[in-house]
Amino acid sequence: MRIDGGLRRARWAVALLLCAAAPAWAFDFNELMGLLARQKQGEASFTEQRYVRGVDGPLAASGTLSFTAPDQLVRRTLTPRPETMAVDGNNLVLSRSGRTRNMTLDSVPEIQGLVEAMRATLAGNPQVLQRYFKPTVSGNADAWALDLAPLDARLSSQIAALRLSGKAGEVLGVEMEFRGGDRSIMTISPKR
Amino acid sequence: MNAGPSRARRIGVLLLWLAAVLAGVAVISRTHFSADLSAFLPASPDARQRVLIEQLQSGVASRTLMVGLEGGKDAAQRADVSRAVGKGMRASGLFEQVQNGDHSEWKEAGTFVFDRRYQLSPEVSPERFSVDGLRDAINDSLSLLGTPAGNMVRPLFERDPTGETQRIAEEMIPATSPRTEEGVWVSRSAPRAMLLATTTASGSDLDAQAAGIAAIEAEYAKATQGMGAEAPKLQLSGAPVFSVQSRDKIKGEAIHLAIVGAIVMGCLLLAAFASPKALVIAVLPVLTGVVAGTAAVALVFGSVHGLTMGFGSTLIGETVDYAIYYLIQARGAAVRGTGWQRWRDLNWPTVRLGLLTSVCGFAALLFSGFPGLAQLGVFSIAGLVAAALVTRHGLPMLAPDGATGMGMRRQMARLAGGIVDALPRLRMTFIVLGIAAVALMAWQGGELWRASLSSMSPISKASQELDASLRADIGASDGGTLVVIQAADEQAALRATEAAGAKLDTLVSEGQLSGFETVTRMLPSIATQQARLASLPDAATLRTRLNEAVTGLPLKPERFEPFIAAVDAARALAPITREDLAQGPMAPVVRALLFERPGGGWSALIALHPTDRFDKSKLAAALAPLPEVQVVDIGDELGSLYARYLHEAFVQVLLGALAVVVLLGLYLRSLRRLVAVCQPLLLAVVLTLGGMAVLQVPLGILHLVGLLLIVAVGSNYALFFDQLQETGRADEDTLASLMLANLTTVVSFGLIAISDIPALSAIGRVVAPGALLALLLSAAFGKRRAR
Repeated sequence: MRIDGGLRRARWAVALLLCAAAPAWAFDFNELMGLLARQKQGEASFTEQRYVRGVDGPLAASGTLSFTAPDQLVRRTLTPRPETMAVDGNNLVLSRSGRTRNMTLDSVPEIQGLVEAMRATLAGNPQVLQRYFKPTVSGNADAWALDLAPLDARLSSQIAALRLSGKAGEVLGVEMEFRGGDRSIMTISPKR
Repeated sequence: MNAGPSRARRIGVLLLWLAAVLAGVAVISRTHFSADLSAFLPASPDARQRVLIEQLQSGVASRTLMVGLEGGKDAAQRADVSRAVGKGMRASGLFEQVQNGDHSEWKEAGTFVFDRRYQLSPEVSPERFSVDGLRDAINDSLSLLGTPAGNMVRPLFERDPTGETQRIAEEMIPATSPRTEEGVWVSRSAPRAMLLATTTASGSDLDAQAAGIAAIEAEYAKATQGMGAEAPKLQLSGAPVFSVQSRDKIKGEAIHLAIVGAIVMGCLLLAAFASPKALVIAVLPVLTGVVAGTAAVALVFGSVHGLTMGFGSTLIGETVDYAIYYLIQARGAAVRGTGWQRWRDLNWPTVRLGLLTSVCGFAALLFSGFPGLAQLGVFSIAGLVAAALVTRHGLPMLAPDGATGMGMRRQMARLAGGIVDALPRLRMTFIVLGIAAVALMAWQGGELWRASLSSMSPISKASQELDASLRADIGASDGGTLVVIQAADEQAALRATEAAGAKLDTLVSEGQLSGFETVTRMLPSIATQQARLASLPDAATLRTRLNEAVTGLPLKPERFEPFIAAVDAARALAPITREDLAQGPMAPVVRALLFERPGGGWSALIALHPTDRFDKSKLAAALAPLPEVQVVDIGDELGSLYARYLHEAFVQVLLGALAVVVLLGLYLRSLRRLVAVCQPLLLAVVLTLGGMAVLQVPLGILHLVGLLLIVAVGSNYALFFDQLQETGRADEDTLASLMLANLTTVVSFGLIAISDIPALSAIGRVVAPGALLALLLSAAFGKRRAR
């Protein structure tokens, strides 16, 4: 009887384990979006390394990122040159070298695609992301990667590959590979 | 044998008349009909108003068409139609620019900007080409490499490491562009693809504008062939559409009114005369008057405004009266064929006085500073004089004894007699009503005259809404506020524009403007271009400085040899001139923003894209130190223009009324009779205004013109009653002719009152009741008929 009971408990435990483990195997796009959507606001610092053909050695930059759901995103570069890109809804404000430029995102679909790659991912908005990209998720909740293949012809003529990576609800890296071979790798460290 | 005018005289007069009418028709057939607002803009404007008028007449806004393709199957289909329509429009040659988001046409412009970057870039200065400046600029370009923005920079990096091309492009790309989908412009609010086009022809050339619109419609029909019910719908808006629509609408309405008026009038005249011949004769002075009026306007002004033409239908009401008086009053001669002589001696003086008072009234309009009002004056005077001359000299040749039939005039006369007998009892009532009306007007004051310039526009609310919606989609600057630069020559204008641009840059960085469009981005002044080129070092100096500047940067100096060569080549370039740009893709923009003024001198415009933080007083303050630069707020200017217009019209109408009174005084030579004649006219005007105040109708300039018409038409009635009292005799025919004349007037203005062209209905709504009141009041204040 006891053995039998022990077996039954063991079976239960196995079943529970299986259940718990299941998401890790079949971690999919919608679940990732669900995780990301929980984070409504975030501040992070970033460093960026860019490998450009014809330039000896990587170009480095660093700064801060801030996101407020659903659609505000600010990238503030502090080194080597101060520069700000702020997106709010459909408006994009670029400030560099003492000048400010305003743009509407939806008038330039390729820029909108790039903004949404970051913004819609941070917001966990699957519909918007799928409007511009074909997403592929790999890894598990603790270490996921989201590959985004651009749907827009103009964007895909510029971007060869775009990959975001992270842990649970946090984006920790953005890698971009441009047509022609240039690459950029951004590493993000959330502030807590 | 009758004793009418001799055969020779008859033929002579009739031939002369025919020749005059034919000459008039010939003049009219060669005349252009306009419908733009500019006729209602002052002829002697101040500096700002002149800018406004030039812009309204031929500025880019007057030539800009917005095209929407709404609905249909899906975005891809709309994009295909948009591309096809755009291509056809570009090929037609009727448009100097067609934009639909398809940027292919900008490739040529890109090459031009790249080749001339050291003349065009605002950053080019001696400091920029110092060691520090070069390092800074190269670092700036490096910060873009390897980012999405770097894709544009990288192919040019060796030749343009300081990023001048990028800098110019940044400024030229408008801050507010339409949304783009499937490669073409689309709406943000509706399933709609958008195109924006400017016609080559001037905005005031309505025939050319109509041809442009027809070309778009044809291209649309071609592009959507075979799509059936799935085709997207074509929407068109913009100033050319409005102008052409107004012209067509006014034309159509004038014809419509003339036809309906003719039918109603015909029925009335048939009832009165029971004779088709009388009907035809009665119409002749009217037709001659309309031809004479239109031809006179064509000769004096060179073109006829649509509104003047519409106004022509109002003339029917007064000119038909002349014929009615003649046809009735020339009857009953003792000797056959002498009726016209008796009429000439007995009745013509009264008709002539009525004519003179009308002419006096309208003469005031001739001196109006607004060509539109002056046109109405010329039209009315020429029309009335011609109609009276025809009545006086022409009709006796055709009907020496007036109309033959009796028709229902006996009943009319009986009715009129009854009314004339009954009305004096109502004198007190009318006076009390008059006092109430004056009190009401005093209480409402200036509020009564609150109609605006736009209330004269025949554009329907739906069209205005479509226009606003298309405009919002395209992000076209609505032209609400313009910065205008005026200078003696082109270069001075460009230099002042550069100075203004520098001030506006501050407003952009303060976030008050999202951007602005200025011609100096593609055509800097020669002084600026020379200064820029002079700051370029020679090849050897540049090479030395570059070597120093890139020390410590991850770049080999040898990479920049193409840059050194490009700078060296640029040093020898001739300045860009307006002629250089005249054929290229930037020509339309240059033409829209820089132009030689008709009166001499040059003007440049800066179009602003304000944000919601825009503060007009800050803009004015920023530009105040520049004397050549003015800020023109179109809404304000139009408003103040209209106020001036209204004020001037008031003065003219008062002067006209005064002239009428003086003329009547001279003729009557009796204060008592003058008061008796003026009393009902004044009361008719007061009661009409009071009625308008009760009905809360916002009154404008055309209502004012209507009041003048009441006085002009009404004075005829008042004079008849005056004559009636002097002779003490009111025969049936006089009463019948008065009643008939009044009926035709009220009916013709009543028809105009229900027209959906606001300018016409305004006149009709004032004159129809006013004329009726003038008759009733003339009867009420005349002495009771001696029995």
